[in-house]
Amino acid sequence: MSTAIGAPGSPRRNLHSLWVLSARDLRVRYATSWLGYLWSVLDPLVMSLIYWFVFTQIFHRSVGSDPYIVFLIAALLPWVWFNACVSDFTRAFQRDAKLVRSTAMPRTIWIGRIVLSKGIEFLFALPVLVLFVVFSGAEVTWGVLWFPVAIIVQAILLTGLGLILAPLCVLFEDLERTTKLVLRALFYATPIIYSATDLPEGFGWLPLANPLDGIFSMYRSAFFAEQWNTASVVASVVWSIGLLIVGIFVFRGLERDVLKEL
Amino acid sequence: MGEYAIEVSGLGVRFRRNRRGRQSIKSMFASASRRTPKGEFWALRDISFNVKPGESIGVVGRNGQGKSTLLKLVAGVLLADEGTVEVHGGVAPLIEITGGFVGDLTVRENVRLTGGLHGMSKAEVASRYDGIIEFAELEDFQDTPYKHLSNGMKVRLAFSVVSQLDEPILIVDEVLAVGDKTFREKCYRRIEEMLAAGRTLFFVSHNERDLKRFCERGLYIRDHRLVMDDSIENVLKTYNADNA
Repeated sequence: MSTAIGAPGSPRRNLHSLWVLSARDLRVRYATSWLGYLWSVLDPLVMSLIYWFVFTQIFHRSVGSDPYIVFLIAALLPWVWFNACVSDFTRAFQRDAKLVRSTAMPRTIWIGRIVLSKGIEFLFALPVLVLFVVFSGAEVTWGVLWFPVAIIVQAILLTGLGLILAPLCVLFEDLERTTKLVLRALFYATPIIYSATDLPEGFGWLPLANPLDGIFSMYRSAFFAEQWNTASVVASVVWSIGLLIVGIFVFRGLERDVLKEL
Repeated sequence: MGEYAIEVSGLGVRFRRNRRGRQSIKSMFASASRRTPKGEFWALRDISFNVKPGESIGVVGRNGQGKSTLLKLVAGVLLADEGTVEVHGGVAPLIEITGGFVGDLTVRENVRLTGGLHGMSKAEVASRYDGIIEFAELEDFQDTPYKHLSNGMKVRLAFSVVSQLDEPILIVDEVLAVGDKTFREKCYRRIEEMLAAGRTLFFVSHNERDLKRFCERGLYIRDHRLVMDDSIENVLKTYNADNA
């Protein structure tokens, strides 16, 4: 009896389970192919290069800050984290239905595991950002201290969204496809290729309504002091905590039905 | 540990009769009350019993009466709509043939994963790994993806891993019926060892001999309710009389 890690249901046991699952995800990601690491950074990298080419070489860019490639990557890497998590939330329970059906542990772990493993992938991709900062000669400001805060707020936001989305996707199959569409729209509604300051008049509400705006503003203030937007950051923190609280209640209300449905 | 290993009181769970006609979002948030929404039926209702540590319980009943559902509720992989299940101590579940293995991962990875999810540290999984493989007789298939194993091998692996868990409560569904005779006998000896070591057993089977071999006490489930809670001999007598 003494050899097990923590008593069943104890925080220590649950953290251990969370880690076992996340570590498995990462092993699948990085160990199954020698290109593993490259794949995880290639997507944001190619996207950055495309936008950089289109907006600096073809069009005469009037948005964002210089150097534009750093401006892009600083938001694209966290966007990839967000996008990958939300896509995975739609199948959080179905993907490992057998394990969910036969392992007694808090079902929230299936959400946390996605946020954690994708978050670690995000951290692993950060050297790419550093590389571009060094070679493009971008200036690092004191705003870099907000970087870890942004990571924490984004993790809270993702957990809240996951707690809402994952159980709903089990109960309503259409939601999976809807989510994909919403994600695509959200990419352009979020200041990634542009900055919130570039929004035309009448769209001033957008940075407050979109929690990602404040989070990306924190990431970007590490290199571009003018990207900091206090109102938007406060709004994103309020949104994230609010969604987490709503998520906890939604999850509690739906958990029973989800388990029957699997 | 308290007086009881498992405490079940007023337990009820309901399922939808068909896949069509999903509930409205509003009704999902309504608290699980006594009323039965349209198109749903109670798979189990008003079930109450207590199990002392070290007891071995056999659950008897015809197919579709809720035996496996009861096991899942005790294992904590299904949540009750009414009533409570309290389980003191961890559960080693052997429910559904798969027992929570992942098809794409190899045998080795699956052992690590399942062990890890049940609180085994890396070092502990490593120290028990050879024993698990040997018991399951899968020495030559350690790097085979789980999905490519035969059904018999899957059961062998599942039993081997779950019986290595240090949990005080063992839950066994009818999975063992699949294995061949020699292996089944091996499993049964292992279960007897575990019982002798003071584990609590919760066992579902249609096989009278197995029930009599392992269990002292029987629970008879008929029409989704617990109709009898007595010694296994008496329960089997009633069950056989009902279905004569």
